[in-house]
Amino acid sequence: MAARRILYFTAEDHYLYRSAGGALELEARFSGDDLGVTAFREHLRAHRGALFSVLADLAGEDFHEEQIPYVRGGDREAVVQRRLAQRYRDTRLVTALSLGQVVTAERRNERLLLASFTNTQQLAPWLDALEEAGTRLSGVYSVPLLAPALAAKLGVRGGRALIVTANRAGLRQCFVDQGKLRFARLERTVEMVPQALALFVRSETQRLAQYLVTLRALPREGAPVQVLVVAPAGQRAAFEQALVSDARLVFRTVDYPEALQAIRLRHVPEGTQSEALFLHLAARKPPAEQFASREDRRRYSVWQLQRGIMAAGAVGLVACAFVGGSRWLEVMQVSDQVAMQRNEARVAAQQYERITSTFPVTQTSTENMKVAVVEFRRIAERSASPEAAFVHLSRVLEQFPQMEVDVVTWRLGRAGEAREPRSAEAGSAARPQAQGDVAVFVEVSGRVNATQRTDYRGITAQVQRFAAALAGSGYEPVRTQLPFDVTSEGTLTGDIGGSETGEAPRFTVVLSRRLP
Amino acid sequence: MTFTRDELKNLLLPALITLALLAAGGALIWSADNALAGARIELAAAQSERRQNAERLARISEEEREVSEKLDVYRRLGQLNILGEERRLEWADAITRIRGERELLDLRYRVERQRLLTSAPGKPANVDFFASTMKVELALLHEEDLLRFLADLRNSGNAFYSVQRCVLSRTGQAATGVGITPRLRAECEIDLVTIIDRAAKR
Repeated sequence: MAARRILYFTAEDHYLYRSAGGALELEARFSGDDLGVTAFREHLRAHRGALFSVLADLAGEDFHEEQIPYVRGGDREAVVQRRLAQRYRDTRLVTALSLGQVVTAERRNERLLLASFTNTQQLAPWLDALEEAGTRLSGVYSVPLLAPALAAKLGVRGGRALIVTANRAGLRQCFVDQGKLRFARLERTVEMVPQALALFVRSETQRLAQYLVTLRALPREGAPVQVLVVAPAGQRAAFEQALVSDARLVFRTVDYPEALQAIRLRHVPEGTQSEALFLHLAARKPPAEQFASREDRRRYSVWQLQRGIMAAGAVGLVACAFVGGSRWLEVMQVSDQVAMQRNEARVAAQQYERITSTFPVTQTSTENMKVAVVEFRRIAERSASPEAAFVHLSRVLEQFPQMEVDVVTWRLGRAGEAREPRSAEAGSAARPQAQGDVAVFVEVSGRVNATQRTDYRGITAQVQRFAAALAGSGYEPVRTQLPFDVTSEGTLTGDIGGSETGEAPRFTVVLSRRLP
Repeated sequence: MTFTRDELKNLLLPALITLALLAAGGALIWSADNALAGARIELAAAQSERRQNAERLARISEEEREVSEKLDVYRRLGQLNILGEERRLEWADAITRIRGERELLDLRYRVERQRLLTSAPGKPANVDFFASTMKVELALLHEEDLLRFLADLRNSGNAFYSVQRCVLSRTGQAATGVGITPRLRAECEIDLVTIIDRAAKR
């Protein structure tokens, strides 16, 4: 975390503290006059671009309660700025604290506590010096603005409470209602013994309480108000003795070291009083409300934007790294699985090699041997021999002695092929090796003897019976060409009464048998 | 809030750094995604290899039986000289011998150029099947002469004989009583198939 410098601004002297980690260091002290401003300017030369805050601890701080219509966004901002301008002549150091909503029968309002310094001019040269030195002013705070945060740190939970601290500037009393600042005052003090200071605290607290009743900020009757007093180091006993609770005020004394511990401030410079508590809170837990104008804080806003952009980049990178990391983890898991699978595959392959090494030795690879045998079988299955066909034909012819066969054509062809190719080219093209189903075709051409040529019916019947007899033993008739074309598509001729030529009628029967 | 030129300059460097950080983050995710996709592909390949090896191992006994059975056939093909280069001289010798033994009257043949029947993809090399078509013309006394011729040819080896076509017809010549006259004529086309195994050791 970047170190912050806080200018503790009192009516007399001003102190420049440096806050880093849980420690507070006094860097310089400046008088409240022009010499002090000059020295401050000189000091700032070495701190161009440094982060600064101003913590004012002044008596002249005005608090005024107002109500505005309940609006939001730009409208609210405009209304608040108008009210501040109406209330204060110099609006360079003004602020408005929201005290919550007020719901009336007519409308809903918002309560505001307008605050500023009665004399802003005493702060102006110091703010100008910060601006001219190119520092980044995060805000101008007053001790009362930080009182609610301190009260919360010291254990005040809700309700009304008075926070009393003995600061270098004097005795600071802040009235906090439900965690929100309502009023504060600073009473200058002089060096006094603990008992006297304790009695002074008691009397001033009672006066403030009376004043708040007058302002109707406190009810006349009601629950006692809690008063939290931070006693200087080693003076708690004296304070507790002097600060006796009554029906109106209930005192609780917190030792200064105890308060430091509560806000986790480990080291404070020598001579610093309770203002250290507010300085630490201004550095580490500054409230949203502060007095500086937007223009005075411009460099700080730009710096915040720079940091925001960088933070967005860093967050983006971290998110990407997270996503990427999870993916890489997944990659590692998958890689492990790959290694495992490969190992299993290797083991199986080795086992396979070991077993196959015991196989009979061949002159070729196992793959080639398989391929050669499988393909050879396929070719062999598509081959056939004419013996079976001739035997089948001989057996049928024995039953038909009048049939005289002239030509027998045996061939291989595609199953479903109806007729034999006419030409030699067509014959080679019809080689069945490259085809799917293969069949044997047997074409039987012959003549019918011992029957009168004019006996058309008898000859046709004999050929048909012969063809029917050939069909069987796996053979199917493909085509039968009769001696006489008796179909309607053909031409029927006759020569009745003419002389016999002596030539027997010719026929053709085509059979096929599909190979397995 | 309107920014001045100087303020914009001040914001430029953080913006560039942020862009660089986001780009680095994006590159990280991109590289992780790529690596993951690659790893998944590798895993799929490794799983497939393991599955195949495991299945092959599971089939080992079946394969052993298959190899043993196919080896017998392969050896037989080798013994019959079907496996290897063509042996045309042996074919001619065989036909001459058959003609003599069967006392065939007339026998003419012509073996065509060798042609590639099929090429089966093997490992490490292909197995090529070649065929040479032989056209035979025979003069026969009886049809059984043709069947005996084909059976003798088949038994002679040196190729696988695949009969493609056979035409058996009458010659129409009458017996003269002086000499033996062929009554039948046969014309056949026979493919003489041989196998070249490119991976076989010579």
